[in-house]
Amino acid sequence: MKRYLAVLLGVLTAIGGFVDIGDLVTNAQVGARFGTSLVWVVLVGVVGICVFAEMSGRIAAVSHRATFDLVRERLGPRMGFLNLVGSMLVTLLTFIAEIGGVALALQLVTSVHHLLVVPFVAVAVGIVLWRARFSSIENVLGLMGLALIAFAVALWQLGPDWGELAAGLSPAEKPGAESWATYAFFGVALFGAAMTPYEVFFFSSGGVEERWTEKDIGVMRANVFIGFPLGGVLSVAIAACAATVFLPTGIAVETLGQVGLPVAVGLGKIGLAVVVLGFFAATFGAACETGLSTGYSLAQYFGFPWGKYVRPREAAGFHIILLAATVVAAGVLLTGVDPIMVTEISVLFSAIALPLTYFPILVVANDPDYLGEHVNGPVANALGVVYLVVITVAALAAIPLMIVTSMGQG
Amino acid sequence: MRPAVVAVLVALTLLLTACGVVAEPDAAAWDERAARALSDAGSQVATARLALESADEERTWSAYATVLVAQAEEAAGKAAEDLSRVQVPTARADDAADVLDLLDQAVDLVGEARAHSVDGEYDDQALLDALDRLADELRRAAP
Repeated sequence: MKRYLAVLLGVLTAIGGFVDIGDLVTNAQVGARFGTSLVWVVLVGVVGICVFAEMSGRIAAVSHRATFDLVRERLGPRMGFLNLVGSMLVTLLTFIAEIGGVALALQLVTSVHHLLVVPFVAVAVGIVLWRARFSSIENVLGLMGLALIAFAVALWQLGPDWGELAAGLSPAEKPGAESWATYAFFGVALFGAAMTPYEVFFFSSGGVEERWTEKDIGVMRANVFIGFPLGGVLSVAIAACAATVFLPTGIAVETLGQVGLPVAVGLGKIGLAVVVLGFFAATFGAACETGLSTGYSLAQYFGFPWGKYVRPREAAGFHIILLAATVVAAGVLLTGVDPIMVTEISVLFSAIALPLTYFPILVVANDPDYLGEHVNGPVANALGVVYLVVITVAALAAIPLMIVTSMGQG
Repeated sequence: MRPAVVAVLVALTLLLTACGVVAEPDAAAWDERAARALSDAGSQVATARLALESADEERTWSAYATVLVAQAEEAAGKAAEDLSRVQVPTARADDAADVLDLLDQAVDLVGEARAHSVDGEYDDQALLDALDRLADELRRAAP
């Protein structure tokens, strides 16, 4: 019974924790401009994140060591450093976007400008990272993130023409006014949002923190293969809500308030309140995850004590990194930069950094010295190689598409 | 002459030539920017309309509606300001006046919507109709 409850809790927190500011904004933007014609990218991204999260979770459970630690040892300091720089910059950018997202969510409730809220959010995130238990962060915020299910309920209440929504799933149904280059740009951004590197690092580092063993592989797989796809369903619901309300009226999504507006139209105040709670939980949870991931990656690479289960005094370096990252994130936001723009850049650069993140995981997952009998099977390897090709194409296309379309504007 | 010296001289010549030439504003590029500004402003006008309507039907609380409309006003103002800074090609002088006028109308009307939202007056049918009309006009003007 206890095991089933653990699986259920893991699946629920995986669903609630799947969506972050990048998913919220990008899915709504894409739904408003392209209807459901890019939903296939979310599906491809969800399968991809499942493939690599399962590999990194298995590595953590069998080797009891974290990803960056093994990457540096297995591929050498040079490749490890490249992996570290690429992933960490994107994670830091995402951390900034998430803190901005929390401030924007609070602005929707209080009408106080987000710039005035940022310092308080940064202090709150800093305190939670320093004091809160790992399981509390994961479970409380993950479960609160389930409030985003309101998007699926709102879609049902909005009563769209389901046949039209289904017919719009084909890329051929791209609105005629949009160019194929813009379509591809948003496809890459959506793919980057779905496969954000920090999710995998947080997941595997969490496994090491919680001392997973080979016996936990089954629970880990249930979390990944049930929780992540259901989280992906929330992403699709966000896009479909935006497609239903915004596409016919020509509204382009540029603010977090607009992301929630279809829920207000469909469900009214209570539904909107639930979804704003979901915004808060999703962004605050992701802020904690990205903040921790920044600390994890640096500490693991340089080999000093890390983790929420280690006393702050013993892992001083790890906690100083967390504090410094929080100060940097707040500082960047206080320059007045638009958090939504930071989010757009972070999902794009996430796509660029994908090969640096996922190639080393595939290599380590094939090494019997670390994984013994749990090395990748033929299916995991086939999927891993196919996805490496896909993420390399997406990474190479990201910058040219960004230039050609002026960040998706034209 | 060493290749490096040649390269520096060529670079300097190109730089001086570039400084000496004032490029004629590109009509096609201006059209593209105008279409983008009109489309952005149309989106903001429609957002303000939907936010007021939702607040009137008690589907949002006042802070939410006010934040939405205030952000729409800011974005519409930015769209108008960005285009007004671009030098108008001679061939587009008349069109530019019309486009900039339409954008100014959008900024003013969304500003009015924001003032109504702050005052909690969501049921001004004349304002809602004006927002509807302007959103349509902006959509038609953006090719």
